[in-house]
Amino acid sequence: MSSLPSAPTKPPLWRDIRVLRWAFQLLVLALVIAFVYWLYGNYQTNVARSSIPTDLRFLDNPANFTMPGNDLDQSQPVRDAFVQGFYNTLRVSIVGILLTTVLGTLVGIARLSKNFMVRTFATAYVELIRNIPLLLLLTFMNLAVILQTFPRIENAWLPLNLFVISNRGIAIPWFTGSGGILLAVLASALVLTWIVVKIRGRVSDINGKPARGLTWGLPTFIVVMVAGWIVLGYDWVLPFVDDRATSGGLRLDPSFFALLVTLVVYTSSHVAEIVRGSIQAVVKGQSEAADALALSGGQKMRLVILPQAFRIAMPALGNQFLNLIKNSSLGATISYFELTQIAQITVGNGSPAVPAFTLTLLVYLMISLVTSVIVNIVNRRLALVER
Amino acid sequence: MKKNVAIMAALAAVTLVVSGCAATADDTSAETAPATTETVETVAVSSVLDSVMEAGVVKCGTRDALPGFAVLQEDGTHVGFDSDFCKAIAAAVLGDAAAVDMVDLETADRFTALQNGSVDVLVRNTTWTASRDGGEAATFLQPTFYDGQGMMVTADSGYGSVSDMDGAIICVAKGTTTEGNAALESSRLGLDWEVRSYDETELILQAFLAGQCDGWSSDVSQLTGLRSAYPDGAEALTILPEVFSKEPLAPAVLDGDTQWAQIVNWTILATIQAEEFGITSANVDSIAASTEDVSIQRFLGLELVSDDGSAVLDPGLGLPSDFAYQVVKQVGNYGEIFERHLTPLGLERGVNALWTNGGVLYAPPYR
Repeated sequence: MSSLPSAPTKPPLWRDIRVLRWAFQLLVLALVIAFVYWLYGNYQTNVARSSIPTDLRFLDNPANFTMPGNDLDQSQPVRDAFVQGFYNTLRVSIVGILLTTVLGTLVGIARLSKNFMVRTFATAYVELIRNIPLLLLLTFMNLAVILQTFPRIENAWLPLNLFVISNRGIAIPWFTGSGGILLAVLASALVLTWIVVKIRGRVSDINGKPARGLTWGLPTFIVVMVAGWIVLGYDWVLPFVDDRATSGGLRLDPSFFALLVTLVVYTSSHVAEIVRGSIQAVVKGQSEAADALALSGGQKMRLVILPQAFRIAMPALGNQFLNLIKNSSLGATISYFELTQIAQITVGNGSPAVPAFTLTLLVYLMISLVTSVIVNIVNRRLALVER
Repeated sequence: MKKNVAIMAALAAVTLVVSGCAATADDTSAETAPATTETVETVAVSSVLDSVMEAGVVKCGTRDALPGFAVLQEDGTHVGFDSDFCKAIAAAVLGDAAAVDMVDLETADRFTALQNGSVDVLVRNTTWTASRDGGEAATFLQPTFYDGQGMMVTADSGYGSVSDMDGAIICVAKGTTTEGNAALESSRLGLDWEVRSYDETELILQAFLAGQCDGWSSDVSQLTGLRSAYPDGAEALTILPEVFSKEPLAPAVLDGDTQWAQIVNWTILATIQAEEFGITSANVDSIAASTEDVSIQRFLGLELVSDDGSAVLDPGLGLPSDFAYQVVKQVGNYGEIFERHLTPLGLERGVNALWTNGGVLYAPPYR
């Protein structure tokens, strides 16, 4: 009792900052788990009381509905409907992301143009579109543009006799035969083009002359595509109005068109701001150096500014891509048969709501996480490697 | 990226557990039930009738813009066939037809609202099907209207029957039996219809007006109402003669409360029985004062005088003995409700006539 601890090297447990840190984190974790468990318990109790199914067996029930533009027989299971909805979500998202990147970049560059008209127009576009709620924009697109501005099928517009444009959709020329094989031709053309461009790069490195990748690559691509087209016997089919529908060609569903255009226009206004900001964030010396090398305006943008701007823009662009994917769920309001629409329809026809919407939520989560992984990989490849 | 994967795994695990299989649900519910908080247990014990009596108001799931069935007026009240049955339930349970809280529901939300207790009863043009009975935790009761699905087209479209409509675009309401019936009819007749489905009637109307849809398919009663309110006039539209489904529109309550289900059931049966007796809101008082008919006395909750004294029939439904009197007095009998809301639309009684007139409406005896 009389002997004091000679050297208090360690504070007591309840005052040790390392222990406290751990204890606090464990406490928070325990609280979160307890809360989730409490919610889960409530869910189970309530569900058991009202005898709502909680499993995924509803996926095997017949779907009992059909989807415009998809081969879904009404006797196929709900599972197949969800798969088709997943494809439709992917379809509008992928095409949307590609178009958004192009349009957004162009508008972003236009925002910095020296030409007064171009600059003002781009600014007006950005400020107008990004300050309107997306749902409103989509409703307007559907009710005012597609339904009222586009003609009825009886008076369809036939530009050059190549397209059929009406409020029942837009039909474009398409090809006969297998799409998969044509995709393989396209892939091999792209690979060959890439190889040619790479070889030109090597040659350029060796002899010091300009690589001229485009002058060599584009003809390669065209030659392979045309050769494949002719050898495999593909042919164009032009669409035409057949009674009250279109025949031949590829018909883009009016709701697909409305959703795609709205998503692209809306997301582009945000992407344009990101691109503008990123271009302005590239240090001025880069631009001056490019001028000193006597690069043309286009070359300066393409070779010097944009590659560095995209390095800055990539994480923010990834967020916009994710927004576009998630916003595609608004297609359910205009009868585009994507995931959310499928979930709503099946729940309305007897599938249990909680498992069906949980499944839908998980699929969106999966698509978004895969997208962010891809964006992160691209971002890592673009990022400056500092030693 | 590693972080992403970890988060994904964690979220997937949590949600999978939540949506987990029935086996675990059965196991855990037995364990968790005693452990859950008191509020949960009291909810489980208390009946819908108790909560309605306590609140002094019946929460009735309905809709806001279906001509003839339920239309939200500018003063905030609802008028229509369905709305009158909501009022009848309030009159039966609380003795006041005005003690009803109309809750407007989207089609896709209606069963969820019933499941989570936002509404006590659903009287919302809902077709009684086996999947809904089993999958939505709903108990369907005496149908208020026997309907069938039909097709409406513009008068100048040249369609004379459903089988003329090869390759047509058909617009329907989302999350309804209509989608399935249209798909079934299309494949049965080999017509290759494209069925588009929308949340709101207004969107279908716009698509139909713009000529995006060739046909508008729904229950004939709805089509009749929509036709009467069509902007270009009712003559611009034709309802094709075919009816290609059975659509018994029935009120629904949540599974597991038999007493409340019986109350709603007998309220609707009372309107049918009253019509059979010839009792209307106008003559119910004079009949009650003068009738010698024992079955009518029982029905209206009057004292049955006999040699041993008098008694009032209480069948033990949980309803006041004069509930039928209140329903008829304040709302009317089935025929009155029908004539008030559906006859103006041009709907015939048809199969919805009393069994004595060749219809299918038949109330079990009240004794």
